[in-house]
Amino acid sequence: MDCFCKSVRQDILRISQHSGHGHIPTCFSVVEMLAAVYSEMKHNPADPSWAGRDIFILSKGHAALAHYCTLAHSGYFPVKDVYNFGAFSSIFGCHADRHRVPGVELSTGSLGHGSCVAAGIALAFKIKKSPRKVYVLIGDGESNEGTVWESLMVAAHQKLDNLTVLLDHNKSQIRCLPITRPADKFRAFDCETIEVDGHDVNALKAALSAPANGKPKVIVADTIKGCGCKTLAENMFAWHRRSPSKEEMEMLLGELK
Amino acid sequence: MRKHFKEVLIKIAEKDERLVLLLGDISVFLLKDFSDRFPDRFFNIGICENTLISMAAGMSSQNLHPIVHTIAPFITERSYEQVKLDMCYNGFGGNIVSCGGSFDYAWDGATHHCYTDLELMRMLPGMEVMQPGSKKELGLLLESQYANGKPSYFRIPADEHHLDLPVEFGKANVVLHKDSAELTVITAGPLLKNVYEACKDMNVNLLYFHTIKPLDAEVLARYSKTKMLVIHDAFGLFESVCAAVDAKVKYHGIPDKFCCYYGTLEDIRRLLLLDAPGIRKIVQENL
Repeated sequence: MDCFCKSVRQDILRISQHSGHGHIPTCFSVVEMLAAVYSEMKHNPADPSWAGRDIFILSKGHAALAHYCTLAHSGYFPVKDVYNFGAFSSIFGCHADRHRVPGVELSTGSLGHGSCVAAGIALAFKIKKSPRKVYVLIGDGESNEGTVWESLMVAAHQKLDNLTVLLDHNKSQIRCLPITRPADKFRAFDCETIEVDGHDVNALKAALSAPANGKPKVIVADTIKGCGCKTLAENMFAWHRRSPSKEEMEMLLGELK
Repeated sequence: MRKHFKEVLIKIAEKDERLVLLLGDISVFLLKDFSDRFPDRFFNIGICENTLISMAAGMSSQNLHPIVHTIAPFITERSYEQVKLDMCYNGFGGNIVSCGGSFDYAWDGATHHCYTDLELMRMLPGMEVMQPGSKKELGLLLESQYANGKPSYFRIPADEHHLDLPVEFGKANVVLHKDSAELTVITAGPLLKNVYEACKDMNVNLLYFHTIKPLDAEVLARYSKTKMLVIHDAFGLFESVCAAVDAKVKYHGIPDKFCCYYGTLEDIRRLLLLDAPGIRKIVQENL
C-alpha cells in the first residue's frame, strides 16, 4: 500500500474511533483516487483560493473524512484539527461545508449534485477559455440518481473534455440497484471511459493524464469497500456507519499493510 | 412579456460579457436574436431542469452571471433541492427566470399550473423573489439584481397591469390610500390589473408588491391598524405578509384543491373569483 494512502487510512480509523462517526468502508474505497487526483491536479494548499487551481468535488459527500485526511496530508490544515470530526463546534462535519473547510469546493451530502455543478464549472472554464480542469468523484450508489446521467449527457453534448468523473465502483449497491457494466453505460453516454484498478495510484494517475479526445472523461475505478482491512472488506454492510471501539481500532490498524 | 425579456437580456449582454443564458428548451426561437449575437453565451442545455440549476450554480462559482430560463413548475418544484443546496446553501447564487407561473398555461392543465413557486423560493435562506407585473418592472428588477451574486427568482407573467408605478427592488407601492379606509388590500404581479379595477372606487387601501422577498415591511407597518386582505393567484405573498406584520390578515386566492379545468388564464381567474367582479365581491364581504 502507498505510504500516503496508509497514513490516510490510519487517520481515518483513529478519527472515526475518537469521534464516534465515520463511513470507514466507503472512505477506504476512495483513498487512492483522492491521492491520485491531488497528485495530478493544480492546487496550492497554502492558497486554497488560488485563481489558477483545478477544482475537485467529492460528490459522494459521506466520504468526507477521507477527503479531510487527504487535505490534511496535502498540507491544507493539521490532521489533529480533524479529530473533532462531527462535533457541534467543529468545522469538520460528517458532510463537508465549503464555507468552513479550506480546499473543499462544494458542500455535498445529498447525492447526485456534484457532477451537475462540476459540468457547470467546466462549461464556465470553456466560456472563459481557461485551461483549468474539474474533477468529481461519484459513487455507484449515487449513480442511482438520474441527475448523474443527465449531467453526463449534457457534458458529452457540450464536449466538456476538461471534466473528469471518477466512479468509485465498490459494488456496495448490489443490495438494491447495482450499476452493472458501468463502463458500457458511460461509453454509451459518449464519455471517454477508462477502467482501472481503483487502488493502484499509478494506474489512476495514468488514467487522469490520458487524453480525453474531446469528451468528458470517466474513470471507472474498480474498488473494494473497506479496502486495506480484511475485516471491513468482508463485512462492508455491518461496518457501513460504524465507529470502532479502541480494541477494534487496534485490530484494524494491525490489518493495514 | 417574453419578448421584452429578450430585449432586456440583449441590453445587459451588450455591456456585460459575464451574462450567460441557459435554457431548458423553451423560448429558443424567441431568443434567436440573442443566440445569433452571443452564441458563446447561449446554451439550450436540454429538458433537464435539475442539471440546469446545478450548472448555473457552478457557473456562478466562477463569477459568471447565469440566467436559467424555463417553465415555472419544472424549474422550481422539480428542482427545489438543487436551488436549495447548490444555489443557496453553497452560496453560489444565480438567476432563475420562469414563465408559466400560476395559470399562465391554463389550457395545459394542472401539470402546468404553478402557484407554489414564489412560496417555495421565499422559504430558502438568501433567496430574492420577484414577481414583476409589467414590462417596466421586469426590466428594472432584472437589471438591478442579476449580477449581485445572490440566488434570485423572477417570474415572467403572460399578461401585465398597465399602471405606471415607481420601481425599486424591495419596495412596495401604495396604489390606493384612503384616510378613512379600514381595510387594506394587498396584491402582487399582474393580478394588480384586476384588483385595481375592482377596488379603485372602494373605500380601501391598495398595496402592491413586485418583490416578495425581501418584503417591504415598512409600508405594511403603516397599515397594520387596518384589516388586511391578501388577494393573490399564488402562495408566497400571504405567508410573507403574515410573517412581517402584526395584524389580522386574510387570504383570497388558491383553494386547497387542484384546478382541473383548461381554457384561458381569464377563465381560471373567473372560476377562482380572481377576475375584477369576483375580487370586488370578496372585498365587499371583507369591508
